[in-house]
Amino acid sequence: MTTETQHGSVIVMDRRRGKLRAGQGLLQGLRVVWDHWAGSFRKNDNFSKIHGTFTVEYPEERLPMPQAYRNMPVLLFDDESGHELCTGCYQCQRICPPQVIHITQAKDPVTGKMVPAATEFIIEYDACMSCGFCAEVCPFDSIKMDHVYELSTANRAALTMRKAQLNRSISYYTGIAPGLWAEVQAGAMKKLQGSIKRRPDVIGLAASLTEKIKARRLELAAAAAAAPAAAAVSAPAAPAAPAAKLTPEEKAAKLAAMKAANANKGAAPAPAEAPVALSPADAKAAKLAAIKAANANKGAAPAPAEAPVALSPADAKAAKLAAIKAANAAKQAEAAPVSVETAVATAPLDAKAARLAAIKAANAAKLAAEQGNNE
Amino acid sequence: MQDVVNQVINTSFGWGWPSWAIALIGYLIVAALLFGIAPFQMLFLTLYERRAIARMQDRIGPNRVGPEGMFQPLADGVKIFTKEDIVPTAADQWVHFIAPCVVVAPTMFMFAVLPWGPGMVPVDMNLGLLFFFAISSVSAVGLMMAGWASSNKFALVGAMRAVAQMVSYEIPAVLSLLAIVLVTGSLSIVELINYQGGLFISTRDVASVPDWGLGWFIFSPVGFLAFIAFFIAALAEGERTPFDIPEADSEIVAGYMTEYSGMKFGLFYLAQYVLNFLLCAITSIIFFGGWQGPGVGWLYAQAITPVNPQGGWVFNVLAGVLGVFYFLTKTYGFFFVMVWIRGAYARLRIDQLMDFGWKFLIPLTLVNIFSAAIWVGLTKWGAADGLAFVEGWSPLVRWAAAFGVTLALNLGAYLFLARIFAQSQDERARQDDDVLEQLTNVA
Amino acid sequence: MALILLRRPYGWEPMDLLIQIIFGLLAALIIGAAMMVVTVRNVIHAALWLIASFFAVAALYLTLEAEFIAIVQVLVYVGAISILILFAIMLTRSSEGERLLTKHWWAAALISLGLFGAVLLPTLIGHTWNIPLPTGPVDAPETLSGVEDIGRGFVNEFVIHFEVAGILLTVALIGAIVIAFEERSRRRHVLTLSEEHILRQRQQATAERVSAVADAAD
Repeated sequence: MTTETQHGSVIVMDRRRGKLRAGQGLLQGLRVVWDHWAGSFRKNDNFSKIHGTFTVEYPEERLPMPQAYRNMPVLLFDDESGHELCTGCYQCQRICPPQVIHITQAKDPVTGKMVPAATEFIIEYDACMSCGFCAEVCPFDSIKMDHVYELSTANRAALTMRKAQLNRSISYYTGIAPGLWAEVQAGAMKKLQGSIKRRPDVIGLAASLTEKIKARRLELAAAAAAAPAAAAVSAPAAPAAPAAKLTPEEKAAKLAAMKAANANKGAAPAPAEAPVALSPADAKAAKLAAIKAANANKGAAPAPAEAPVALSPADAKAAKLAAIKAANAAKQAEAAPVSVETAVATAPLDAKAARLAAIKAANAAKLAAEQGNNE
Repeated sequence: MQDVVNQVINTSFGWGWPSWAIALIGYLIVAALLFGIAPFQMLFLTLYERRAIARMQDRIGPNRVGPEGMFQPLADGVKIFTKEDIVPTAADQWVHFIAPCVVVAPTMFMFAVLPWGPGMVPVDMNLGLLFFFAISSVSAVGLMMAGWASSNKFALVGAMRAVAQMVSYEIPAVLSLLAIVLVTGSLSIVELINYQGGLFISTRDVASVPDWGLGWFIFSPVGFLAFIAFFIAALAEGERTPFDIPEADSEIVAGYMTEYSGMKFGLFYLAQYVLNFLLCAITSIIFFGGWQGPGVGWLYAQAITPVNPQGGWVFNVLAGVLGVFYFLTKTYGFFFVMVWIRGAYARLRIDQLMDFGWKFLIPLTLVNIFSAAIWVGLTKWGAADGLAFVEGWSPLVRWAAAFGVTLALNLGAYLFLARIFAQSQDERARQDDDVLEQLTNVA
Repeated sequence: MALILLRRPYGWEPMDLLIQIIFGLLAALIIGAAMMVVTVRNVIHAALWLIASFFAVAALYLTLEAEFIAIVQVLVYVGAISILILFAIMLTRSSEGERLLTKHWWAAALISLGLFGAVLLPTLIGHTWNIPLPTGPVDAPETLSGVEDIGRGFVNEFVIHFEVAGILLTVALIGAIVIAFEERSRRRHVLTLSEEHILRQRQQATAERVSAVADAAD
């Protein structure tokens, strides 16, 4: 009785209802309502049908959110490499209307230069209005709008989210908004590769991926172990070498070489302020400097026991540890505490301190080698 | 009840209490039962209505509080109890306070004459039906009090509309029941139910019909027209859609209930649902036999009754249970129809409402009384009453003749009156040229 | 309850006392309510006290075993006439009434009581009242089918009274309609937009017809 014809995107339904006699309209109305009542015992899954219950029984069932639904921003990290896409460029912090984003960009501890990564990323979820401007403006597609709306809590402080809580893998984002990610994927990954190249050490790896961090550290250590030989060989010829794109480790080695050179040239003994709390990079640099100093001072034929070149990784670690211990001992030898910054600042200029540390390190290395030989 | 109590106390336990004590105990038990039943009905009906109307609107009703929302009315009750009771300072304090009681109390009274099963009526009054409607008309006074005491002009206008609606629809209600009273010759509700044993034809009309409890009044033309008129009037009395101007959400704030909050509003709400339950109950009693149904009569014949004090008490229980089951099924079925109508129809304006009541329903019910008289004459009268020619006919023929005549009369009257009413309503909507010009002074 | 107990032929003395107590209470209620009707300040309260006295009168009818009259009293007086009174009060804006007690009201009370006593006392003293109630043979209780008797009375003995009352009511009904009726044309009526639109269309149609006729005439 009801004919449906389609004109373009419009469906015309012609319900052939005869001429209504007295009282018939009322009964037909009752009939329509009865059909709805009887039909409502099934659930309506297709919104173009008119019978069936439309109710979504929250919280057992939830309505699927559209892809572009935005509620609360999150940071993305790449699944395979483990690197966060965020470079700490401050664009989202600038544009955020309620100013709830607080970023601390990462700094290279060795060189002091900014690294395209963020050490800390805070968003105050309780004040965030989910406008999505941060996601719109991010040049690296690293901050995206999540779909969670069940954030009620009695603990207001818990709504201040830090980077660890904001990190989500890209696969998570692909799960909630595949179309949106597909549009920007290529560009984002390209920019990510660029950022990865400029990030030293484990900076930029998502903090939750401890395995990846460990693996990277091992990688770097292995590279550092292999690198000094190459660096030692190329060091005499290095100063005039063309400044090609150096990895952070190479840059650190170059810097140490320069420091060693300055240390040799430097005559005036600076006050004995030992560098304190040497980071592994600093210890490595100190070690390298020690080696170079030893080489320069003692000639081209270093004693086998003093040559840490052939040291196994374990021994290298021991030597490193010894260097740290020497540094710590030097620090404790002093009475006045020295701030780390001044120590770091004065260390490169501190030729005598470096030499002292180097001698101590050499002694310690000799001791360790002897002990190793004894065992 | 008194007979059961008598049996239990005097015969089984052999205590031999005086009969006034037994009467007192019987009444106290019944009163206590009714006090429990009335609010329970209201609670159940609110949930029932919300679930049913939700399903009609393609959604599920309340189903969170308790299994399938069973405790939702309790939650509503707690909410209403804990709301602040605000009384406007300009309101008439005493009248404002008493008005909800005056509206609710009659509804509790009306339970006294309602038979729930065979022999299960709290007070077997000879004039039960008249009592029922007399008491229901008292709540109109309560509405007026509520509207006036609020000292709010919208409440007053709402109260006047509500009272006008109630009072003007009491007339077709009582007149349609009057036709049934004419047929049975008694105002007692118990007698009305007893009349409806049989099989589509009451055994009182044609004695040879087997008593299956299905000789309801709805199966006769007089009863059918009376049922239609009474059900519509009951919708209006209980202020249900399409006559729910006083209580609808989008109308005149909340009508007479505007200035009431907290439990006083709860009492109005309770009164409305209890009244609707009672009207559905009376509909099912008078037109659909109440507790009459297949089996109940037979079971009750073997139970302890005033005419049969030696019956078995098991039959009392069985007959009671079956009777109550039939009664409640019919009542809740009618309430479902009320909810169905609420889900389907739009609201009538107050003037349309009044026109419909006075100009259509009352003439219809008057015609129905006339046909009821014809029915009584053809089925019951004889030469002594002036109708000698029917005396020779067999009861079945008399019944058939009455059926035919009343069917023709009622149908003709309905069609005729419907046409006239429709024409008058159209006339109202149309404006004549000269009237228009007169009104606007346009040449 | 009193009726149920009355139905049973027990001849129990204390029941008479109970009935007398009930009667006393009802009478006090009626008279008290009636007095409140004429003395309260607020006219709506007066109407409500009147309703209370109606209820008490209905109860009084019940003690007289006139069930039908009692129920009809409630139905008609409380259910209809009281509402009519309330409507009338509410629709005519009467100001806050003041107690209409004259200054020497005690003199008026004394005089009225004296006159009333002068009328009533001879009747009270001279008449022989049936106290105590006659204890005749207690037969089967009368059937309380007042309705049938009233009905029969209406069409047999009191048919003229019935018809006159009916005519009176019909006249009142017609009078009410006549008073309330108003010619539709005389009602002040603001046209709705649709009605204005229809009027304009009709006027245009007539104007066109007139001009067409005029053109044809040329």
